Amino acid sequence: MNSPTRLRSIISIILAGTALAQLAALPVLADSAVGVDTLPPGNALNTGVARATPDADPEASPPKRSPIGRLYDWTYRPREDARSFGGGWEYTVDVEAGGLYTSGDDEHILFRRYKDLDSGLYLRRFTFEADQADDGDFFSVIGGSPGYDDQYWQVSGGRHNVWKATAFLNETPAYFTSNFRSLWSGAGSDYLPLLNMTPGGLATAAATQAALRTELAGTGDSTLSLTRTKYGARFDFTLNDKWKAYASYSNEEREGARPYAMVFGGAGGGGNIEIPESIDYDTMDMLAGIQYVDPRNAFNLQLSASMFRNDIDTQTIENPLTITVNTITGIPATAFTTARFDQYPDNDFLKAKAEFARQLPKFWNGRLTAVVAMTRSEQDDGLIAPTTMALTGGLINGISTANVWNTTGALSDSSPETQIDTTLFSLGLAVHPGRSLSLKADARYYETDNSLEYRACNPLTGQWGRLTNDGSGGSFVNTPAYLAAACDLDAVRALGIVPSAGNVPIAAVPYEYEQMNYSLLADYRGFGNSNLSLRLEREEFDRAYRERASTEENRIKLGYTNRGFERATLLLSYEYTDRGGSGYVVEPHEEFMSATMGPGPTTGNVASWFHNIDTFRKLDMADRRQNILNARVNFLVTETLDVALSGQLRDVSYPDSDYGRRSADQTSVSLEANYQPSATFGVWGGYTWQTGDMSQRGLQANACAIGATYYFFSNGAINTTGVPPAGTSLVGSTPVTVANFHDACGMSGPLSPLYPTSRSWDNEQQDDYHMANIGLRYDVKRLALDVSYTYVLGRTEIDYRYNPAALGLTAVQVAMIGSGMPDQVMEVSTFDVGLEYRFSETVSTRLFARHEFGRIRDWHYDGVAQNPVPAVNAAYLDAGPDYRYDASLFGIFMRVQL
Amino acid sequence: MNRYRRSIRSELACAALALLVLVIASPARAQDATYIGEAKCVVCHVEQKPNFAHTAHAKAMRANPANELQAKVCEACHGPGSRHVKNSEDKSLIIGFTRSWGTPIETQNSQCLACHKGGQRLFWSGSTHEMNRVACADCHNPMAKISDSSSLRKASISETCETCHAQQRTEFRRRSHMPVPEGKMSCADCHNPHGSVTRPLLKADSVNELCTACHAEKRGPFLWEHAPVRENCTNCHVPHGSNHDKLLVAARPFLCQQCHSPPVGHPGQFYRADQTAAAAIQGGTQSARIIGRSCVNCHSAVHGSNHPSGTRLQR
Repeated sequence: MNSPTRLRSIISIILAGTALAQLAALPVLADSAVGVDTLPPGNALNTGVARATPDADPEASPPKRSPIGRLYDWTYRPREDARSFGGGWEYTVDVEAGGLYTSGDDEHILFRRYKDLDSGLYLRRFTFEADQADDGDFFSVIGGSPGYDDQYWQVSGGRHNVWKATAFLNETPAYFTSNFRSLWSGAGSDYLPLLNMTPGGLATAAATQAALRTELAGTGDSTLSLTRTKYGARFDFTLNDKWKAYASYSNEEREGARPYAMVFGGAGGGGNIEIPESIDYDTMDMLAGIQYVDPRNAFNLQLSASMFRNDIDTQTIENPLTITVNTITGIPATAFTTARFDQYPDNDFLKAKAEFARQLPKFWNGRLTAVVAMTRSEQDDGLIAPTTMALTGGLINGISTANVWNTTGALSDSSPETQIDTTLFSLGLAVHPGRSLSLKADARYYETDNSLEYRACNPLTGQWGRLTNDGSGGSFVNTPAYLAAACDLDAVRALGIVPSAGNVPIAAVPYEYEQMNYSLLADYRGFGNSNLSLRLEREEFDRAYRERASTEENRIKLGYTNRGFERATLLLSYEYTDRGGSGYVVEPHEEFMSATMGPGPTTGNVASWFHNIDTFRKLDMADRRQNILNARVNFLVTETLDVALSGQLRDVSYPDSDYGRRSADQTSVSLEANYQPSATFGVWGGYTWQTGDMSQRGLQANACAIGATYYFFSNGAINTTGVPPAGTSLVGSTPVTVANFHDACGMSGPLSPLYPTSRSWDNEQQDDYHMANIGLRYDVKRLALDVSYTYVLGRTEIDYRYNPAALGLTAVQVAMIGSGMPDQVMEVSTFDVGLEYRFSETVSTRLFARHEFGRIRDWHYDGVAQNPVPAVNAAYLDAGPDYRYDASLFGIFMRVQL
Repeated sequence: MNRYRRSIRSELACAALALLVLVIASPARAQDATYIGEAKCVVCHVEQKPNFAHTAHAKAMRANPANELQAKVCEACHGPGSRHVKNSEDKSLIIGFTRSWGTPIETQNSQCLACHKGGQRLFWSGSTHEMNRVACADCHNPMAKISDSSSLRKASISETCETCHAQQRTEFRRRSHMPVPEGKMSCADCHNPHGSVTRPLLKADSVNELCTACHAEKRGPFLWEHAPVRENCTNCHVPHGSNHDKLLVAARPFLCQQCHSPPVGHPGQFYRADQTAAAAIQGGTQSARIIGRSCVNCHSAVHGSNHPSGTRLQR
C-alpha cells in the first residue's frame, strides 16, 4: 500500500469538512431501519396466492397510478368493526387455521426449497392487533406456521411516534440434498463413526471399492439440511422530534449438516469421498445507534458487534477408503483411519460508523455528507496439530515423523492471532446552482489492513512446507541443507542453495487492499418532466500480493428519464467502463513461496517455478471494457391497463486476457402487463427472457525440463524424441537450457515447452432463462378466487473446443468427449389456486392448492446414483436432485376475522 | 447575419423570461393557502377515510404528532387545503402523489422528507433512485394498509421492488437463489433503496461485509486465505440467483479455472464430458474435478482454512 500522500490528503479534506460542518450543527426526526433482518418476517405460504388477500371493496374507485405510471393495488375493504376491551383499546384478530396435505414427490429439493410443507394441522397465519387511539399505544402479534421449520413470529408494542419494542423469531430450513447415501452415524456432531465399513479401508483399494459399492447399494437416501433459527429483540425510541435511538440484539443458531468432502494423499488426491459436514453455529449480533435530524443537519452513529461461535471446533470422521499415501513412507495406507477438519473458527466483528449530512443553503443550496466507519474482524482460534496420528515408523524425505506432527509444537505459532481492520471515509458535496441543475461530487476511501503472519515450518524438524491431509500427504521443500537453519528463513536464504521446488507455500499471505472512488454527477432537469444526468466515476484499487498492484476503472454513465408523456414513462441509461492498471505479475506471492528460498534451478524439471501463463489474467484484475444499456418504458395503455417493457444489454470484454475469462455478455428483456378493470377483477402477467454468454480459455500445461528439447508437430503433438507422429511434420523445436528456461517456458506460444498454444482449450457457457407468469383475481359476492401460474426455465449449455492430438486424446475418448457438456436444465411450473368463501363478515373458509412439477438436470451428478464409486479411492454419495418431480399441496383453512 | 443573431438573442431572452415566470409563478399558487383540518378533508374524501385510519401515519399523526406539521394529518403531506377546497379542479392547489395529479416529483418527495429525512435517507440525494426520479409514492402508499410495515404499495418489500425490477425477480427464481420468493428474505436485507455510500445501494460498506452479516462463519480471517474470497464474494457468486449450485457465476470446475491454470497439477487441464460418473460406466475416466462438488471435492474449505496444513484449502 503506497499512497500515503493521497490518503493523507483525503483524510485532511474529510476531517476539515466534517469539522466545519460540526461547528454549525443544529438539532431531526429520523427512522432507524437498520440491520439485515426484514421485519415482519414471513414464509412461503405467506406470499403470492398462498397468502389470503384482503377482501376487495366493490364500491371502491378505480385504482390510481403511482408517479412512475404503475397501477396501485386494489382498494381493499377496510376493517371497521374493531372490537373493544375497554380503556379505549380496540383490537382485531385474523386467524387462518386448518390442515395441509402434500402428495407426490414432495421431498424433492426444488419443492422444499426454504420451506416446510409437511402434511398436518397447520396454523397458516395469525395476527392480533390492538390500538389505543387516544394515546397512540399499540400492540401486535403476527406469526405463521408455528411448529414448522419455517415458522415466524413477531410481537411488537409501543406508542406511535414515541417508542417501539419488537421481538421476533424466524426459522428458515435449507435443504441441500435428499439423495445422500451416508456411511456414517453422528451427522451433526463432531465425530462421525462409520456404520459398517472398516476405518482405513480393506487391504487393497480394489477390495474397498467393491465393498463400498455393496454398502452403498444397500444404503438408503437421506436428507442433508440445516435449520436457521434467528430470534431477537429491538427497541426504538423517539426521544424528541430530533433524536432517535435504537438498540437490538439477535442470536442465530444454525444446526444440521450439509454435503462436504474429504480428500487424502497429495495434491492430486490419494482418495476422495463425499461426507456430511456437521453444522452447529451460533452468531450473536448487537446493534445500537442514535439518529439526529434537524432542518439543516442529520447525524447517525451506529455501533455494532457480531460474535460467531462454532460449536464444532473440529470434525473428525472415519475414513472408509484404502487411500494412496503420498510423500510419507513407512506408514501403511490402512493406518489413516480418520480425517480431522478444523472447522470455521470463532470470530468477532466490531464496527463503529458515523454519518453526517448538512444543508448549506447559502452555498448554492448545497448539501455536505460525510461518513467515517471502522471495523475490526478478528479470530484467535487455537491452531490444531497437523495430525492426530503419531506416525511412528514413518519418514518424510528421510526424517522421522514419529511424534513430531501430532503436536502444536510442530507449528511455527500455536495461534493465528489474525485480524483485519477496515477503514472507510466518504465525503460528498451536492450543490444546486439553479432550479434545474444539480451537481454532486463524492470521494470514498476504503481500506483493509490484514495483520496475518504465519510460516509453514516445523520447529521440531526444521522442515519447510506442510503435512497434508492428516499425514497422508505432504508438500515440502526437500532441501536437506535447509534443515540446519531451523525455520530461520533469513538463514535459509543466506545459504544460497537452490530449493527443491519453487511452488511450496512457506508462509500465509495477508491479502489486503485500498480502494478509492471518485464521482462527479451533473443532473439537469430543465426539460419539464424529463431530466438528463451525467456521472463520471473513477475507482482505484491498490492490492497487496496480487497479480496487479493497482487497477483503475473509469466509468461514464448517461441517464435520461422522461415522465412527460401522457401515456408513458421512459427511463434510459448507458454506461461505459474501462479498467486498466499496472503491469500483470504472474508470481505475486513469491516471497511466500519456496522459490524465494534460494537461487533459481539449473537442472531437472522446472515447471514448479512458474505460477501461471504470462498472458493469463484473473478476472477481478484483468483489463475490462463494459457497455451497459438499461431501458424501461411504462405504458399507460388505458386507465386500467399497464404495460411495461424493460431490458438490459451488458457487453463485457477482457481485451488483454488471452487466457482466463475473456468475455461475459448478458441480455435481459421483460414484458409485463397489469389489467385491473374493476375493483373486484384483475389479470396480470409477464415474461422475462435472459441470455448470457461467458467465454474462457485455458491451457493444459506440458513440461519444462532443463536439458530437454521439445519438438512440435503439425497436428499439435509434442514430444522430446523428435520422432514425428504418423502423418505429421515437424513445425519446430525448443531446447530448454539454464539460460533460456524462464523465457522459453514462462510464456505461451506455439513452441513453448510448458505452455504450447496447441494444448489450449476454449470453453463457452451460454445461459438462457425464461420466466412467464400470469395471475388472476376475481371477487364475486361471497367468493374470492386467486389463480397464478409461473413457468421458469433455466438452461446452461457448455461448449468447448480443443486439439485432441495436442492433448494426447484417443479417438475413443474424442467420441465420448464430443463438443460440450450435457445441458444443465431446471424447469419448474407452479400452478396456485386459492378460493375463499365468506360465510359472514368474520368467518370464511379458504381452499388453497398448488401443483408443481418440473425437472432438473446437472451433469455433475450424471450417473452418480448408478455408479457412486467410479474408481478406486473415489466415492460420491450425493446423487444430486432427482430428474423429475411432480408434487401437490392442498390446504383447507378456516379464517376468522374479529 | 446580424438580424439572425438578434433573432436568436430575442428568442433566448423570451425563453429565459418564460422560464423565469414559470419558476416564480408556479410555487406561488399554493403558497397562500391555509390549513383547514382533517375534518374538512374527509367531507369530500369519504372513501379514503376508513382506509387511511388503519395506517401507521394516521395513528401516529392523530395520537402523537411529533410536531405541528404532523398534527395537520392530511395536510401534513398534501399541504394546506384552503385553496383546494375552493377549487378542487386546479391540481396546482394541493399536493398529490399520483401520476394523474401531476405534482412534480421533487415537490412530492420533499413533502415526505419533511418528516423522513436523515436516518436511512441520508444518502437519498444523488442515489440511483433519486437520479431516476423515483418518487416516494412509487414504492410507498401511506393511504391504505397494504403491507404489515413500511406503508408499501405491495404486501411485501420484495413484491414492491419487483414492480420495477423484473430482471431481478427472474434471477430469484433460478435454481439456486436467496430465499426471497419464499418470504425469508427481502431486498431490503441487503439494499437500502434510499441510498448508500456504495453503488448498488448496499446496506454495508463492502460486498463482503454485507454477505458475512449473515454468513458470519465465512468472515474469518483465516490462517490461509483465498484471495478472491477475501476481496469480493461476487467474484464467484451472483447475489440473486444462478442456474448453478450455490449461486455460482459459472459451472465448476470451469469457474475455478477462470483464475487457476498453473503449470503443475490439474487446474489447467481440459475437463470434459467423458469424465462424469455416467461416462465412467461406458469406458470414460472419472474425474473428481467433474463429478458432484467438482474442485470442492478436495478443496472443501474453499472460503479459507484455519488448519495449519490448509494451504490448499483441503482441511
